[in-house]
Order: sequence, then structure tokens, then C-alpha cells
Amino acid sequence: MIKLNKNLSVIAVAVLATFQAQADIRINGFANLTGGITSSEDSLYDYDDNIGFASQSLFAIQVSGDINDKMTATGQLVARGSNDYSADFEWAYITYQTSDNTSVSAGRLRMPLFKYSASLDVGYSYHWVVAPQSVYGVPFNNIDGVRFDYSGYTGDLEYSFQFTTGNIDSEFTLAGASAALVIDNVVAITGDFAYKNWKFRGVYATGKVNFDIPDLEPAFTQLSQLSASLSDKLQASDDSGIFYGGSIEYDVFDWFVAAEYTGVEISDSFYPDEVNYYVTAGIRTGKWTPFITYEKSDLNNGPKFLSEISGFPAAFQPGVTQLVVAIQQPAVAEDNTISVGVRYDLDTNVALKADIVKRTNDINDKEDSLLRFAVNYVF
Amino acid sequence: MIKKTGLLMGLLFLGNSFAASAAMSVVVNKKNTAEIDEKVVQRIFLGKEKKFSNGDIAVPINLATNNVGRGVFDEQILGRSSSQVSAYWSKLVFTGKGVPPKEVENEADVLAAVEADINAIGYIDSTSVTAAVKVVISK
Repeated sequence: MIKLNKNLSVIAVAVLATFQAQADIRINGFANLTGGITSSEDSLYDYDDNIGFASQSLFAIQVSGDINDKMTATGQLVARGSNDYSADFEWAYITYQTSDNTSVSAGRLRMPLFKYSASLDVGYSYHWVVAPQSVYGVPFNNIDGVRFDYSGYTGDLEYSFQFTTGNIDSEFTLAGASAALVIDNVVAITGDFAYKNWKFRGVYATGKVNFDIPDLEPAFTQLSQLSASLSDKLQASDDSGIFYGGSIEYDVFDWFVAAEYTGVEISDSFYPDEVNYYVTAGIRTGKWTPFITYEKSDLNNGPKFLSEISGFPAAFQPGVTQLVVAIQQPAVAEDNTISVGVRYDLDTNVALKADIVKRTNDINDKEDSLLRFAVNYVF
Repeated sequence: MIKKTGLLMGLLFLGNSFAASAAMSVVVNKKNTAEIDEKVVQRIFLGKEKKFSNGDIAVPINLATNNVGRGVFDEQILGRSSSQVSAYWSKLVFTGKGVPPKEVENEADVLAAVEADINAIGYIDSTSVTAAVKVVISK
């Protein structure tokens, strides 16, 4: 991971160096300062009952320059509060405009998984304080690879297609413990359509998934002594995973309603089948946009592989069952979230936002409430 | 925090002047032969179309946001507030998919740019139109 980042920095520096020779360099940036405080004893998105800013704040600078009239180099340096504001090149890529409606980009790019993937970090681009975490909170948002873009229109129908391929290497937290995720041979196909006030989107992606979760290692070792094949099944090691999703939006400018749905399946692994969605609506009245969002995240579809345990001698079955369930447990979750908030357009590059979020754990009925406020800035 | 926000909001209202929506004209260079309707203007100013119907590159010229005419154009032609247009561009800029139209200070700069460049397209208050440019839409 560290090595990869270093390599990326080298690319980024090279990209920046090519800018210096060029006259037309564009420097843009964005910042989200997001503060939050939960109800006493609650905890949500790493906010607690003391006011905090780090969890969802970020500052970013993007530099792009035209190498020639067909090629553009782009580097985006992002400092996240959740990473102690240490700046990383999250994107560094070169785009080649192959024709009026096709382009190829290569380097480190954003995965086009969601409706708001491309501008996920740019709070100013949407009404939420932060994009719904039930859907957007995935550890595979960036990819090292190549993306092909095609866009066009006929009459009032606008369409664009993206084909992305490459590898993902990321770190994430599972049940409070750090873990690593590597997805090789990623292939993602997306289609976006806009017709008058409607927008539709679909995505389908596959890859070879590898989870490295140190906390689960002892359980896997124990299980492999009982059944190597079952342990192998539960491990996510070069196992096929699929990601699919769709979204719909109706926007008449005075008001809008949108929904997005995503799913993840890594059938030959401990990871539960996952389904997430949100529905959001808002009213734009002058500079104010009050909105409401309902989210649901479901990774609670019963332990897998229990049927395979019946083949074991009766004496072993309780022990094996315990291990098989314990290995799957950390990823199990089911919750729903409702948030109500408002965006205020202070200027054409500054928005102020606030929302109240209540997440309910559908397994133990625990509720966590959070008040957030944000300043979103772009330049 | 709350105090600061109040102060900022106060400044905002001071800095904003609201004018009744004036008649506005979309103008191009006299030599521009392209067919241009409202849809085309919309597509060009939202970066969805880079060329005119005759194949020439289109260079949209925007008024800076402190001009009343900018708000009128964004509302009447693009059908959204300047903040929404800005949010739209922030999506494209930070994905390397587009660069917003060049902004100029005032209507005199729009006229000068359109007069000088066969590719330029801009908008001005209808009362500011001169014989040196061609009006394609009047609203």
C-alpha cells in the first residue's frame, strides 16, 4: 500500500511537472468543513457527543493542464480529517479525447459506481451534508486502471456509457478492526440516461476479491484444521464478486426526488450478500433547499454455508457451526437511517448545510442521533 | 459559528442587488452562420456541446456572477439558479469532464469578445445590443 502510494506520488509529480511547461493550467479546489455532535453516549460516523470536525471534513486541490489539444493531465490532492489531514494524491490520471464523444483516461481514477461517484467528495455539488453512507460508504471508490467514456444525445435523450477496468487496493475497517481489500481484474460497465426531467443509471461490475482481515485469521486457522474446504469457501481469496446498482431521479428544479439502489455479492466468501438503498427528496426555494433522506443498509441475510455443516460427524457440528457463524458475524449489519436537513446557497461557490440524522440498528434496535453542520466551498 | 454565519448572511444580502428580469439577447459574431436556438445555447453553456451546427468550435462567454444579467440568463435560458449551475459545473470540473465557460467582467467585454471572435457566443441586455453583433435569441 505504502509502496503503491509512493509510485502514485511519482506519477503525480510527473503529471505536475508536465504542467509547468504549459500555459493553460487550471487550479481548482474544494473544501467540506463538516462538524457534528451526537446525542449523549451515541456514536455515528465517528462523531461522538463532543463536537468534532475530523470525521467528514476534507480539503482538496485539483490541478489540471492541457498537454496538447487532445490530452489533459489531472491530479487531485485530498487531505481528509479522518486521515489526520495528511494529503494524498487520490486521483492522478491523463485523459485523451479520442473524438467529440469518446475519451480514454488512465491512472488512478474514481470508480463510476454511483450516481454521485464522480463528485462524491465535492459537497457543493449535492444537497446532502454528506452523501448517504448506507450506499456511498464503500472501501472501493478509487481504481488504478483505464476508463473509456462515450457520450452523446439524440433529441432530448442524453446518454453516456463508461467502461472501467483495473485493480483496487484499499484499507477499511470491519467491526472496528483494520483490514485490507484488494480487487483484481475489475470490470465495470455503467450507463447514464437523461430525458427531460428524468435521469436513469445502471451499473454492473465484477472483480476477483481478496479480503485480508487479521482479526479473523485465528478463526480461519481453527476452521481449516476441521475442514480445509469450508475454510477455503469462507475466505475471500481471489473469489468472484459482483456489484450492481441503479438510480432514478426526477428533477423539475423547484423540487426533486431521487433513489439509488446497490448490491454486493461475493458468494464464495464469508461476506454477506449486501443490499443498500436510499430515497431522497428536496424543495428548492430561492437559496434554500430543505431535504429529507431515508436510507437502508442490509447485510443481515442469515449465515451462509450452514447447510454444508450437516455433512460433518454429529460431534463436530456444534463446533464447526460456531466457527462458521463467528467468521461471518463481523460483517453482519442491518440499519436504517433517516435525515432531515437544509442547504443554503450563500454564494455561487459556498453552501451552508445542516442536518439531523437518526440511524437505527435493526438488529438490536439501538438508535444513534447526530446533528451536523457544514460549509462547502469550491473554487 | 452561529455569529459568523449571521455576519456572512448579512454581507450576502448587502452585496446582492435584485433587478426585475430585463429583456436579454443571445449574441454571436456577425459572420456566424450556424443555426442556434435556445436548446443549442443551453447545451453550449452547460458544456454538453462543443461545436455549432456548422461544425465550428463554440466559445461561450459568461458574465461574471456579480452581473444581474448572469442570474437572468441562468434562470431563463439554463432554467436554474446560478448556484445550481455552479453546482452542476463543480461536478464536471472535478471529474475532468469539462471546463466552465470563460467569464468576463461586464457586457462591454461580452460585446468585444463576440465582435472579435467568430466562435464566440454570449448574452447581453437587449438595450445594449449594437450593430456589430448578431442577435440569435431575444427573450
